[in-house]
Amino acid sequence: MRDKPIFSPWLSLAPALTIVILLLGASLLYAIAESVGYISAIGQHEISLSAYRETLNLNSEFWTSLIFSLWISVASTIISAAVALTLAVWLSERSRNSDTFALNWNLAFPHLVWSVAILLFLSQSGLLARWAATLGIIQMPADFPVLVRDRFGIGIILSYLGKEIPFLTITILSVLRSQSIGFDVVAENLGANRWQRVRYVTIPQVLPALLAGSLIVFGFIFSSYEVPALLGVGYPRALPVLALRFFLDPDLRARSEGMVISLIITLIVTVVAVISLKIGERKEKDEG
Amino acid sequence: MTTVNIISLNKTYPNQSAPVLKDFSLSIHDGEMVAFLGPSGSGKSTLLKLITGIERPDSGDIQFDDSSILNIDPNKRGAVLMFQKSYLFPFLNVEDNIGFGLKVQGASSQIIHAEVKRMLNLIGLPGIEKRKSGQLSGGEGQRVALARALVTNPKLLLLDEPLSSLDTEVRINLQEVIRNIQRELGVTTIFVTHDLGEAMAMSDRMALLLNGEIVALDTPENLFHRPRSLAAAKFMGVSTFLSGDPLIVQKEACSSSDKVFAIRPEHIRVQKDTCDQSMPGVVSDCVFRGEYVEYLVAVDGTHVRARMSMPAPMFPHGAQVFVKFPREHLFEVQNQESA
Amino acid sequence: MKHFVTSKFRYILYLVLVAPLLLFIAYAFSTRWFFPQPFPIEWTMETFQHVFHDSQTIPSLAQGLWIASLVGLLSLILALPAARVLGLRKFRGRQLVWLLFFLPTIIPPLSVGMGLNILFLRVGLAGTIAGVVLAHIIPTLPYTIFTLSSAYARFDENYEFQALALGASPWHIFLNVTLRMMTPSLVVAALFAFLISWSQYLLTLLIGGGQVITLPILLFSAASGGNPSVIATLSLLFIAPPVLVIAVTARQLNQHGNQIREQY
Repeated sequence: MRDKPIFSPWLSLAPALTIVILLLGASLLYAIAESVGYISAIGQHEISLSAYRETLNLNSEFWTSLIFSLWISVASTIISAAVALTLAVWLSERSRNSDTFALNWNLAFPHLVWSVAILLFLSQSGLLARWAATLGIIQMPADFPVLVRDRFGIGIILSYLGKEIPFLTITILSVLRSQSIGFDVVAENLGANRWQRVRYVTIPQVLPALLAGSLIVFGFIFSSYEVPALLGVGYPRALPVLALRFFLDPDLRARSEGMVISLIITLIVTVVAVISLKIGERKEKDEG
Repeated sequence: MTTVNIISLNKTYPNQSAPVLKDFSLSIHDGEMVAFLGPSGSGKSTLLKLITGIERPDSGDIQFDDSSILNIDPNKRGAVLMFQKSYLFPFLNVEDNIGFGLKVQGASSQIIHAEVKRMLNLIGLPGIEKRKSGQLSGGEGQRVALARALVTNPKLLLLDEPLSSLDTEVRINLQEVIRNIQRELGVTTIFVTHDLGEAMAMSDRMALLLNGEIVALDTPENLFHRPRSLAAAKFMGVSTFLSGDPLIVQKEACSSSDKVFAIRPEHIRVQKDTCDQSMPGVVSDCVFRGEYVEYLVAVDGTHVRARMSMPAPMFPHGAQVFVKFPREHLFEVQNQESA
Repeated sequence: MKHFVTSKFRYILYLVLVAPLLLFIAYAFSTRWFFPQPFPIEWTMETFQHVFHDSQTIPSLAQGLWIASLVGLLSLILALPAARVLGLRKFRGRQLVWLLFFLPTIIPPLSVGMGLNILFLRVGLAGTIAGVVLAHIIPTLPYTIFTLSSAYARFDENYEFQALALGASPWHIFLNVTLRMMTPSLVVAALFAFLISWSQYLLTLLIGGGQVITLPILLFSAASGGNPSVIATLSLLFIAPPVLVIAVTARQLNQHGNQIREQY
């Protein structure tokens, strides 16, 4: 018993764990403290729930932003998942090495860069508008529909689609390729035609991974700042944009509301992540 | 049920010079189980791919009951394959796995339910309908895979080394299970294996494959006792060949045009004293294997492998012995060229 | 005919994937490209030179590279011992540790950054490179740990025992056996820690507080209302390191690409 170095795993884990626990823990504590009005920077040490009341007040901008954020996240996620599924099934039947490279290539373009590309391509004086003008479809930039910095977040959604479709496609493809001979061949041999193979074999096979991946995508979109900040409008604003505006407000008392919104975002994203993890676990158990 | 005719199949893969199958012909009777035995690269798995339709032959024909299947879609051929791995769908339970073939044919759920039950009884695993495929042992998984393959009453059952990933005990048990079910249902079957014992235990006839050609095709008994060709004899574990009169032990391959005789290792006697039909030799190895003793004796510049069941004498390395080749166990084999 | 349609569709897909790059090149190297013209007609290096001569560009490039390199190195050093334990040992609390390391991938950078902003202001790390590096390690650490622990899980410890039996010192074994066998994974892990840090906007903004300027910060403010040619040029500079890394690690990506992808 004494030979077993019981503390040694923890010793190896200590540096990394300390960093994570200290930094995440501290940031969470500060967020909670400031959300209840405990703001040392302005010497405010009274604890109150007024920021929560302000934020959750039915007339507050929070609700509009929540709905806007949900709309962006849900729409982007569902469209990405559907397109990715189609694309992956299509690609898996005519697999080429260059596909993986092409999809991975997308990794080189951070979300911020994709947003910039969308901006240059779809804005009213952007490339697409120029092409439309050349073809005589429109006369002036103003004739071109507002696709970026629009009220419905179309530019935001398109920007996410550009990143998330390749992500989910690779997720699905890697599941499909992990089978050495492929259940597809087995199913065909047992008499299934092409559509039956997609429906009874491919989709059930990739569904857990697709679902888990979609939830990750949802959580990411729901909580990310750059894209809606760059491609969004002043109203409605996405939740993270709203949170940061409050946080950076010169009036430090507004920070509490920023923290409240940030905590709500974290809460929602965490719940979604837990669901996603559970799906992953169940999948592992089934295949056990 | 089904007679299978394979007629002059040729197949060469692109980027490869040597053909995988050369003018390959074979007829399989209704309800027969034919074992294909051969080393990897002999064309066994290519043949299965051609039959199931995963690949197409360059020329030749495959017929079920005298009609060609080459232009039938792979999913309509009724040639169902069972692999070394069970390939049970992990997202389906046992019942849905077995019923898969019926479901895609559009069978009603009552029929599927009844058929699955019947198949589970047949494979000796009643009542496991609701189990997940991940909860099955290797042997159970293969049984379920067998049930899944047979539930649609296929014209031809193709077994691609279905037992080679199992432990010996389970394996022997499953040989019996598969053999009995195959006989009971009378389904025409091709069984691919590289295990000689398994091929002999299971098949009505054995086809020995080498480099895309059939070297020999006969019942296990005939092939074991009297293989007709040198290649077939080697397949069946014979390593000693003699030629001429008086008999001379031959090295590996036989080049002379004289008659070639072969003898199984267990028929060769190794003894201390000389006698009729014996030749002097020197023991280079003598291994006690429990039920028998294996000898390697240098005779006339080459090595003779012999095997005598217990009780058998043990000799030290370098001992002078006499090796006897009883005439009644010698059989004539044809040279490779004429095989 | 059918084959023709399929291959055509594939090329459309590829085209969409390289389109941003072409778009940036068109905007960055063209001049006097006025509204209705569908394609650039005059090419120039002017914008490029202009951007390079801007007082902020070179320092922000250098600062970004420096921060990302530090983050890559520190993540590796922190991750290696932890990854070894997670990959090779079974111990009580393993699940919990795994979950803790998973947390930074769940909690949005927005929340982390806002909380850390306050902490770092108090301890004097706000607006410093050290503070930004520390903040960047939070998102990179899980990915380096997961990449390396799965590499360790595939690593057979008997190689180490063999070296030990042959008389090698533990340090020698670590350097010449363990690290050597893990080199591909180490490179991938470090490169992706580098990339995650390189493209980090929000954490840099919140911790750097306008004093630590990296390329994404410049790009973001340019994109919020700047000249398209400048935006495109900055974008090209911004994606140059990732494109290089992707090209170099194309093969390894099949294994690890996806776990890292989502951090951008």
